[in-house]
Amino acid sequence: MSLKKLKLGSLITVLFVVLVSRVGQAFVFTDPTELYSTTIWDQWVYQSHHSNDQITVFYGEGDYDLLYFESLGRVSDGSLEAWAQRALRLYEEPGGLKDFQLEMPLTVIDVAGQTGLSCGYSYLDERDNQLWEYRVFLILPGGRGFSIALSTGDAWLEDGSPLEDILRQWRWLF
Amino acid sequence: MAVVILKHARAAKCFVLSLTVLVLVGMASSFVAAAPLGAGFERTLGNSAVSEILKQYGGEYVLPLHQRLWVEEVFRRLVGATDRKDVVYSLTILNSSELNAFSLPGGYVFITRGLVNSIGYDEAKLAAVLGHEVAHIEQKHGVNAVFRQMGLTVLLEMGVMALDLATADLFRIASHTLLQLVNLGWGREAELEADLIGQTLAVKAGFDGAGAVRLLDDLFGVPSEELPMKIFRTHPDTEVRRKRLEENLASYWSTPVVVRDQDVLERLDGGRNFPLDRRIDPTNRYVISLPLEGSGLQVFDQQTSRISVWLEDVLVQDFAWSPQGKYLAVLVGDEPQTQLWICDRWGRVTREVRIELAIADMCWSPQGNQVAMSVYGPSGEHVLVTYVDADIIFAVGEGLSGGVAWLDSGVYFENEGKWYHASAPKVEGVTIPNPVPQVLQKQRILSPSVVREGTTIRLTRPSLTMP
Repeated sequence: MSLKKLKLGSLITVLFVVLVSRVGQAFVFTDPTELYSTTIWDQWVYQSHHSNDQITVFYGEGDYDLLYFESLGRVSDGSLEAWAQRALRLYEEPGGLKDFQLEMPLTVIDVAGQTGLSCGYSYLDERDNQLWEYRVFLILPGGRGFSIALSTGDAWLEDGSPLEDILRQWRWLF
Repeated sequence: MAVVILKHARAAKCFVLSLTVLVLVGMASSFVAAAPLGAGFERTLGNSAVSEILKQYGGEYVLPLHQRLWVEEVFRRLVGATDRKDVVYSLTILNSSELNAFSLPGGYVFITRGLVNSIGYDEAKLAAVLGHEVAHIEQKHGVNAVFRQMGLTVLLEMGVMALDLATADLFRIASHTLLQLVNLGWGREAELEADLIGQTLAVKAGFDGAGAVRLLDDLFGVPSEELPMKIFRTHPDTEVRRKRLEENLASYWSTPVVVRDQDVLERLDGGRNFPLDRRIDPTNRYVISLPLEGSGLQVFDQQTSRISVWLEDVLVQDFAWSPQGKYLAVLVGDEPQTQLWICDRWGRVTREVRIELAIADMCWSPQGNQVAMSVYGPSGEHVLVTYVDADIIFAVGEGLSGGVAWLDSGVYFENEGKWYHASAPKVEGVTIPNPVPQVLQKQRILSPSVVREGTTIRLTRPSLTMP
């Protein structure tokens, strides 16, 4: 066996172990209001104190790692794009997010058959720590708004969205 | 001919002058009584003081996005419940840590960020403050107070100026008087009236009218010098005002009527209205029973398989879990000295309801924040409603004492084989129309604080709040 083949074999083994361990360390979370379900990694801890019928919150391992899904009321902006743009405008305005910077423009994505708009932005928290947030806006049948957000203190946006696993496993329960 | 014409002209001028003075006297008198001026005049008068108010209170403050949307929605609902449609209402948050709120004629309502933040997200309390201020505008208290204050002065000045009328001067004087008065309040009668009208506005807008009472309770604990808020500071009869607001809560309930709906009657005969059903912990953790003899409550914790006694040495007659399992209502003591105690879900007493009447029955509201009781005593038979977290009691039914149940829309009480129903005012939570997703941040791990109690040291559990 050549050294090259050995290296490739080792790499595949490592990737396999990582993937298997990752699958083994995830759990299926079903929204108590039976709106959706998805797979969440074990490192993410459900926060019952911060969650209610409208919002579900998970804390990750990092100091600022936060994952939350929010079910909102009826949106009357006319379109998903208009709603997302209004939200981003309000985040940018006084009273919104400090030093708001849109890092990734609104992009159309599919979340288990529902069209959504994703974007990424950064801002400063009260202690002037820079936070990055990846957000998906959705308008569900009936006109209700829905949002999926993941925030962190690391500039992961350059490496693509870590939400991909969650979105890939996403299922709507309606 | 020319002389005659001249004479006629002089006579006409004299006549016009006299007429004008008479009109002005009439106007000034009526200002004092009812200020029958249009909304445009009120708006201009109020607007003349806005910049000075902003200067005095550090300018306008922009609340964080979601807090702003929440405050605006409470205000929008209140304004929707007003009768005066000729007024354009606006709300300004002032950049001051003072606990203060006030209004100016013409629809200008102000509240400081200090008061907004101290209220937190309690919409009933915010509706009470803003409702009080909107009531001043609805009743034209500000403009009436200004003209009452300046009435004679204006009359003299206007009499001297006669035909000039000098609108600009009138505004100058009125605006100056307005600024002097705004920090003092519009007078005792006006404040009392604004209390009740503001409370009614809040109820009409779907808020709990008890918010006004709870707000006063909160502010009782604050030293008076820290209370610049005119509606709470300047009057020695704050307790009287609290009592009026508390008693007025009953007026928002409907008069009891006999229930004829068969479906309702069937519901009243089952479910959580039965004493045994309401003793089941909705979260299924605790199994509680009354001891066959002795006192207290026997508690079996299904999580730890431990048996303990709550309310040791207290004679317990009956108990009922709140529908969400957050509280336990307990009837204690021998008749006719029965009392209602409210415990948290770990058996700790959080409130003792003190009434001089015997309690025949009790039940929880579906929201688990109120308890209805049928009581009897020397003053007769009543159905009373009280709150879990506030010292508020009022009567919703008289001359009736028997079983009591609280279904969706209100309290039902039994008397001589018939059920009666009194509807509660409808309370709706705040829903932001056309909402915007929240932006949350991870809460830092909170350190417990160390409390020394004699020779022991106790660590307090840090309280967690929404980010």
